[in-house]
Amino acid sequence: MTREQAKERLSALRARGADDADPTLQEALELARKDSELGSWLAQQREFDNILVEKFASISPPEGLKDIILETLEGTARPIQSWRMGWFALAATIVLAALLLGQKVDLFRGSFQKFRNFRSDALAMVSVKPAPILDLETPSLGTTQAFIAAHDAPRLQQFPQKLQAMDTAGCRVFLWRQHPASLTCFHLPSGKFLHAVVIRADAVGNPDLPSGPYSENGWHVMFQKKAGLLVMWASQAPMEELKQFIET
Amino acid sequence: MAKKIDLQAIVSEHYAALYRFGLALAKNESEAGDLTQETFFILTKHQEQIRDPERIRPWLFTTLRREFLRKVRTHAAHPEVEFQPAEHEIPAIESSALRTIDGKTALAALETVEESYRSALELFYIGDLSYKEISATLGVPIGTVMSRLSRGKEQLRRALATALEGDPHKIIPLPESRSPEA
Repeated sequence: MTREQAKERLSALRARGADDADPTLQEALELARKDSELGSWLAQQREFDNILVEKFASISPPEGLKDIILETLEGTARPIQSWRMGWFALAATIVLAALLLGQKVDLFRGSFQKFRNFRSDALAMVSVKPAPILDLETPSLGTTQAFIAAHDAPRLQQFPQKLQAMDTAGCRVFLWRQHPASLTCFHLPSGKFLHAVVIRADAVGNPDLPSGPYSENGWHVMFQKKAGLLVMWASQAPMEELKQFIET
Repeated sequence: MAKKIDLQAIVSEHYAALYRFGLALAKNESEAGDLTQETFFILTKHQEQIRDPERIRPWLFTTLRREFLRKVRTHAAHPEVEFQPAEHEIPAIESSALRTIDGKTALAALETVEESYRSALELFYIGDLSYKEISATLGVPIGTVMSRLSRGKEQLRRALATALEGDPHKIIPLPESRSPEA
């Protein structure tokens, strides 16, 4: 076994010595004990792996995720204690379990939750500093909309009149949970951006929308439905300026 | 009759690592949460198939990955980042410097690794799966897994070195005259 072959095998060693007794890796480990250069490489590799395992493990799941999972599973996971029951009771139990199952699925895939998730994801996307990531940077609204159309992403057929005269920063096309969506960024006179995120309304559960603009975490946000599309307007410009450009 | 598994204990033990794996795949926190939920939901439907409790961890990672791939299969039009193999030397990274990065920076570096290598690395670092389990999960020979881990780590090392130096291309810069705060 050459040094390079040994390195390849030793790359499969997990952190904290979990595979140190693996027979397939013994020859390479033995070589590392005899070959000081390989031994030094392995020590560095192990340290690199250990640090990375720690770093990835430091990413915390969202608070409450575990509880949501357990709540979702409750009622669907219990095995049916049915062997001593009559067929009628068995059938009734199965129907009930199916109903509960359906209800739970609906709950966590419900339209309200979808809409909340979309709002949260879209705000996170436009909040990126110093500026949201764009696929195309151009001051031309027409160019952005042609780009979005070329990527089969949803777009507004017509922007509010005053906005049509404004320069854009650019646009982005993306998928939100398998659904194509677009972002168009405008420059407002105050120097702030106005973001228009467009997605098919049914992709976010066709929700009842909050009426008019509202404020959330330093953002002014407004939702509209137009021709089967949902538009999320978001800006950190003063509310009065925002109202001048979007039809509230 | 299949032995009942302790779902609560399984969720408690594995949900965090599964979430991280989902985050590495989907690059989206809420989607990672959904994938994690769906994985456990599928477990409730198929728990009778799992006879060996020690197989649950690889089963969960395999299932989450399969669910993710099922979802992205419809994303064919989604542009993929083209991998540009680097020919230069693998940069040395001081452990002390590596310790200064946070988990999300490490994850961002992992995302830059070529997809075929990245899958093996995600299961290795985040899933804590052995090379044999990775082989079964990805459906590739053991030798291929070892090779992917080796090359993937080289790419990851380069990406981390770049992250530590600072990457000016990470966010598309807007023209200076038009760089107000968002």
